[in-house]
Amino acid sequence: MSYPQKIDLHMHSNISDGTDSPTEIISNVKAAGIELFSLTDHDAVKGCTQITKELEGDIKFITGAEFSCKDEHGQYHILGYNYDAAAKAINETVDEGHRLRMEKLEKRLDFLNSAFGFAFSEEDKSGLFSLDNPGKPHIGNLMVKYGYAESKEDAIENYINKFHAGSKYVKPDTAIEAIIRSGGIPVLAHPSYGKGDELILGNNMDNRLRRLMDFGLRGVEAFYSGFSPKIIKEMLSFAKRYDLLITAGSDYHGKNKMVKLGDTNLPAAEDYPEGLKRFIITVTNEN
Amino acid sequence: MNEVNVTFEDNEVKVILSGRIDSNNAHEVESEILRLIEGKENLPMVLDASNLEYISSAGLRVILRLRKSNADIRITGVNSEVYEILDMTGFTEMMTVEKAYRIVSVEGCEEIGRGANGTIYRIDKDNVVKVYNNADALADIQHEREVAKLALILGIPTAISYDVVRVGESYGSVFELLNASSFSKILSTEPEKFDWCVKEYVEMLKKIHSTVVPEGKLPDIKETVISWGEFMKDYLPKESFEKLMKLINEVPHDDHMIHGDYHTKNLELQNDEVLLIDMDTLAVGHPIFELASMFNSFIGYSEADHEIIKRFQGFDFETGTKFWKESLALYLGTNNENKIREVEDKARIIGYTRMIRRSIRRKGLETEAGRAEIELWKSELIELLERTDTLLFLKNEFETEAVNEKLPEVLSFIEQHLDNIGCSEKIKMQISVAVEEIFVNIANYAYAPEIGKASVRVEVSEEPLIVTITFIDGGKPFDPTKKADPNVSLPASERDIGGLGIFMTKKMMDDLSYEYRDGKNILSIKKCI
Repeated sequence: MSYPQKIDLHMHSNISDGTDSPTEIISNVKAAGIELFSLTDHDAVKGCTQITKELEGDIKFITGAEFSCKDEHGQYHILGYNYDAAAKAINETVDEGHRLRMEKLEKRLDFLNSAFGFAFSEEDKSGLFSLDNPGKPHIGNLMVKYGYAESKEDAIENYINKFHAGSKYVKPDTAIEAIIRSGGIPVLAHPSYGKGDELILGNNMDNRLRRLMDFGLRGVEAFYSGFSPKIIKEMLSFAKRYDLLITAGSDYHGKNKMVKLGDTNLPAAEDYPEGLKRFIITVTNEN
Repeated sequence: MNEVNVTFEDNEVKVILSGRIDSNNAHEVESEILRLIEGKENLPMVLDASNLEYISSAGLRVILRLRKSNADIRITGVNSEVYEILDMTGFTEMMTVEKAYRIVSVEGCEEIGRGANGTIYRIDKDNVVKVYNNADALADIQHEREVAKLALILGIPTAISYDVVRVGESYGSVFELLNASSFSKILSTEPEKFDWCVKEYVEMLKKIHSTVVPEGKLPDIKETVISWGEFMKDYLPKESFEKLMKLINEVPHDDHMIHGDYHTKNLELQNDEVLLIDMDTLAVGHPIFELASMFNSFIGYSEADHEIIKRFQGFDFETGTKFWKESLALYLGTNNENKIREVEDKARIIGYTRMIRRSIRRKGLETEAGRAEIELWKSELIELLERTDTLLFLKNEFETEAVNEKLPEVLSFIEQHLDNIGCSEKIKMQISVAVEEIFVNIANYAYAPEIGKASVRVEVSEEPLIVTITFIDGGKPFDPTKKADPNVSLPASERDIGGLGIFMTKKMMDDLSYEYRDGKNILSIKKCI
């Protein structure tokens, strides 16, 4: 079979922390010449439902989502692909993720109020809660509007980040199980970059992969915009050793990150590794 | 913002990074860089990381994106923590990453060596630093590192620098040298070890000279020597100059290694291991050029002023002269004084040429003492050139693949030596038979079914005239002296095949001795002539 040359399986819309709407994502994907893509909003599936409805033409789309997970061993971003967007399991996990996010927002606002006396109108507060995925930048913007901080960066660095109450996360086994039960494929996102500033290589990566494979992990995002050739090579050799599927993603966030859509460091289609070919075949046949 | 500053100079964009770049500020750092370099995106870019304390994976992604939009990008002044991250993640393979240089002071440190390009100091018990004379020495340092690595790969024990540092206005490279003493120091403080030093010094020299260097990896010393010779055009009588150039030009190309500055300060004893250091002069070429530089180190430079060697090596002129003579005798495998002097004279021709050039270039002609010295060397040189017809000499060691096809070369090597000492046809024949038996034995059995190397060494001692031929191979241990003599009274059909050759060898030679040392079979035959 011939494999698509341009693939991007990792991007965010404004349903989570990207800036493009799902509709804009479709037109940008077209403009970038991408042949196979997925939308992977944090803890959200509704952008996928929208794209499935709106997408026309030859471009191949598969459902996706990214779950921020944490257990006693560390933090992980788990991607779920090609699940049934109507399935109960995935929607419960998305709702749980959203609930935890709202809980965190509430705690943050309480903290800013008790620690610094920053208060916001009920209208602005309910505006925040009505967002799909409100985070630090949204609070920061509001603080600038109220004159509590000079800039969004100032707000985040000097006030919001002072809040350290242990956040609750979805456990990796919960996320992986939900993806599998909804007919999807669980994949570890940008494996060497755990979360934020983490750098995981060598033995640490080995331990991490084996633990997640016990939960049912089936693939790794070995091709990633932020990976050097050396890291990609290491991930490919892990994938080969453990017979894992391979995906490729840019982590495009619209204007919120300087990553270009389609920047995945993929080689030419004839050089695709076995695991990527299997992934493509799997998601193409199942649909 | 505080983390980024940009300057433009010499058609280059310099981005100065400071503090930390992590997930909290990576995005802002990136926007700031892009804003500041707007319109100059296509110029070569230098990321100055001298004040960068830490970079996280979020920061790495920023650098990767800069690299993707501009291939001409390098990072300088990187501290060791950041370097480790860049190295681990493969960023050092994607772009030039220059480490920040530690600053080291050599004030009050013991000077343990001084070469043409730099001076070596001991900075603490375990480390030495070689400070380069040239202020812009990074290329030299790189060169020395590369040739030292090459030497190590080819089997020469040496120290490889692990760090580059700043020493005042110069650069230095740091080596680990644990509890090491140079041979100069041993000779000065433990004279009872003189013989041991000679033996080890010559063993290393032979090891260097038997190392074949892949083509193009090292410069050819002959080209350098030709330039020394050409310099003499204006300072020698025409006839002498032409003779000099003829002698140099007639030395054939040789792809074996030479050190180029092989004196006793460049040999270190470290935990019972002898290490060769100061590798920047490594080259390929005929060993006569090495002997010339050795002659200068031990005798030439100090011939007029015996204090020089004392200052430089720590031992006196007599010790140096004795060390040179005994090393040369052992190297040539003979104690025949005439033969030794003959080779020494060849070395002196190149040695004096080099010293005259050196002295003139250092304004030697402008002082009374300098002129006297140059005159002395010149008259010696002219006299030597009159009575010398070749710079070649007979090497006493021959290394080859241990295969039957090489037997004729081994036999002709031995014959040259036997002819040289005027050996009778009968004895020559006996020795040839013995050499054939032993070499064929090594070729057939030592490495079978693989192929390995064997070397053959000829040593001659006088009064009484004895030739010793030693065979060395790294194959399976085998002691032929232990093999029982065959029963020659048995009829031919019942005799053991193979034992006969060794038996004949024992009969014809005056002595046969064997030892197994350092993984090598060492078999010697002796014959009184």
